[in-house]
Amino acid sequence: MNKSSTLSTLVTVVVSLLFGAVVVALLGHSPAEAYRELFRGAFWGRFNFGGTLERFVPLLLTALAFAVSSKVAVFNVGVEGELYLGAIAAAWVGAALTGVAAPIHIGLCLMAAMAVGGAWAAIPGALKAYWRVNEVCVTILANYVAIYITSYLVGYPLSAGTGVPQTAALAATARLARILPPSRANSGLFIALAALLVTWWIVHRSTWGYKMRAVGENAGYAEHVGIRSRVTMVWGMVFSGALGGMAGAIEVMGLYGYFLDGFSPGIAFDGMLAALIARNDIRLVPLLAFFLAALKAGSLGMERFTGIPKSLVDAIIAMFILLAAMEGLFLFRRGARGKEA
Amino acid sequence: MSQPIVVMEAIVKDFPNVRAVDGGRFDLRAGEVHSLIGENGAGKSTMMKTLYGLYAPEEGRIVVRGRSFEALTPAGAISLGIGMVHQEFMLVRELTVLENIILGFEPRKSGGRIDFAEAEGRVRRFIDDYGLHIQLHKKVNAISVGEAQRVEIIKALYRGAEILILDEPTAVLTPQEASRLFEILKTLTASGKSVVFITHKLREVMALSDRVTVMRQGRHVATVDVSATSIPDLARLMVGRDVFLGVSRADGGAAGDVVLSVEDVFVPSDKELSKLRGVSFELRRGEILGLAGIDGNGQSELVEAIAGLRPVEGGRIRLGQGEIQNRSPLEVRAAGLAHIPEDRNARGLNRAMSIEENLAGMAFRRAPLSRGPLLVVGALRRFARRLIETFDIRPARPEAPAAHLSGGNAQKVVVAREVDEEAQVLLAAQPTRGVDVGSIENIRRELVRARDRGTAILLVSADLEEILSLSDRIAVMYEGQITGLLDAEGADEESLGLLMTGGALP
Repeated sequence: MNKSSTLSTLVTVVVSLLFGAVVVALLGHSPAEAYRELFRGAFWGRFNFGGTLERFVPLLLTALAFAVSSKVAVFNVGVEGELYLGAIAAAWVGAALTGVAAPIHIGLCLMAAMAVGGAWAAIPGALKAYWRVNEVCVTILANYVAIYITSYLVGYPLSAGTGVPQTAALAATARLARILPPSRANSGLFIALAALLVTWWIVHRSTWGYKMRAVGENAGYAEHVGIRSRVTMVWGMVFSGALGGMAGAIEVMGLYGYFLDGFSPGIAFDGMLAALIARNDIRLVPLLAFFLAALKAGSLGMERFTGIPKSLVDAIIAMFILLAAMEGLFLFRRGARGKEA
Repeated sequence: MSQPIVVMEAIVKDFPNVRAVDGGRFDLRAGEVHSLIGENGAGKSTMMKTLYGLYAPEEGRIVVRGRSFEALTPAGAISLGIGMVHQEFMLVRELTVLENIILGFEPRKSGGRIDFAEAEGRVRRFIDDYGLHIQLHKKVNAISVGEAQRVEIIKALYRGAEILILDEPTAVLTPQEASRLFEILKTLTASGKSVVFITHKLREVMALSDRVTVMRQGRHVATVDVSATSIPDLARLMVGRDVFLGVSRADGGAAGDVVLSVEDVFVPSDKELSKLRGVSFELRRGEILGLAGIDGNGQSELVEAIAGLRPVEGGRIRLGQGEIQNRSPLEVRAAGLAHIPEDRNARGLNRAMSIEENLAGMAFRRAPLSRGPLLVVGALRRFARRLIETFDIRPARPEAPAAHLSGGNAQKVVVAREVDEEAQVLLAAQPTRGVDVGSIENIRRELVRARDRGTAILLVSADLEEILSLSDRIAVMYEGQITGLLDAEGADEESLGLLMTGGALP
């Protein structure tokens, strides 16, 4: 990403916040106070900052998942389904296995989640690569299928038998440690950051990543230099799905300790927004994911102390998307034209 | 001598990080064809887009018929009688030719209805006056490129153009269509209209224009009468030094063993079954076999079939020891083939990647550029620097994005990548199409060097001069078949032209 597009991302952020300020003023509140409470709610104290980090982890991983699929020119709207399937896979491995050392148990849970998420994402990937089926339709619909599969599993075979549709609690060896009690922020943060580095490395510093980018940016070129674009596209989707599955696993292992039916309020869609605003640049994805996480976390504090509804933050985020989509707005033309001297 | 109707003085135009035009100067007299020539990126198109009002210059002055402007707008330019035919046509493919021509300037009837009868009458006058044959009621997506260009010319005339700017108009035309265009332009100037002709084909300049202005690196170099200059002079002005386009053939000695043999190959194209109908030839080590022919007679399909990019219906293609028909591109390359594709944007380059990543398109699979799955950044950069230096690619920064390369340098990147493979067989499809003179010289020299190292080269080109000056043997394709195979010594433009149009040699 070059300097001017980084600048325009920055301008996007500022203009969206100004838009939010205007709305707050129209609601009869003080914008300064609203943003102060928003900031406090996101960063002040262990609990609030932990809340931001807790939201940051799944946003980062799902945004990465979306960015990775876009490298092979697949618009993967199915990360939410991959997240659910990964979550229930991790919950099953975490509860069914006992007597294993914690690092191994955690590793097995993550691997199971990534395998399931990756396999699920391979379906739309293969449909697009080999039969040119539109991946947006397939992934949107596949989300429902995935989420209902987990609903069935948590309701019957994997039910803990309580009144609430949830699985049995994970063994202690499969839990991720809390790092900022009393918040729910956990060591999944470090796993996510490691995944970020590894993903960047694979995409930009490995032969596989070279093939992925070649296929996504110019399939004709990829074919010409002998890259098998269909195979590469499917494996790119597997990679994307694995990251989505990992996001679900960390939610289960770090936040809840079990799988809860319908636990995600569309986390992956917020992640997709972060990736879109970052224009799928892996270096910018963590910044945008963190920014959205802080907004989401801070909006609770803002609502509690000022009475401004926290859905304002969703309006600000929507504003971002609009502005990011019309970046041409910020390219000003120089000089007067059509003037006779 | 008539008073100039357009004068552009001291034009400066900046783009981000680049000064595209620096002190540009140009003038145009009524009734002349004035050619504007220069290498790719010399600022020719920018200069004329400034005149047409698409760009506002940072500095300078534009005088049209005595009125002086700091900058124009397209609407202003049109009202001053300036029209432009762009390199990429600006036509609505789903509308008819007539609708395209009158778009934005429709004659009206009562109630806001378009008066098509009146419009057609007006357009017919241009068709008859200038011999611009077009079919008014066909949709644009159903007409040929040459016809679309005539539509663009009429569109400009319909809008009242007295000054017509043509941006590299012959790049998309067959030789026949080009000579037809030249006749049209002569009729136009005979009736008092003026033509600006942007090109880098020097023979067209000599054949068509009255005066010529040469630009180099954004600056005005010279404006001369065509009667007082020659092709070598113009080439020297463009490049800034002497140029030898006819590479001296170092007489590669006797050609060696057959490395590529094509036997009775049938290939379907996207639209036609059996576009290639029983093509056979052999290619030997250390020779350049030129494949001449008018575009669209099956050369592209033949090259893609050999490269594994297009299925082969019948026949055999042998490379070295094995058969390679209907194998994947990777398998064909592993068997010893390199391929300069005819379209560098569709296949040759990945514009979203950097120069070094494009250069490494093949080499990234091997040590030292990669170790296992790991790309070795240092080795990649050294590899790119070596090729950038050998092939004189500018800008000489490996990490610069390929999207910013000019046509000539983009093509050098493709040629560098493929020639450096040192494969047994090199397919070179239109290796110098749309490339400036300096780069042409460079690319041709590298092809001859590869030949001298023992590479067998199949050179496909629409440029007869290129075929004649580089080839050891020449094959001619016509309607999917090879209609003649001759030694370079015995070939000339006439005999090739005859074969290319379906005639037989006496």
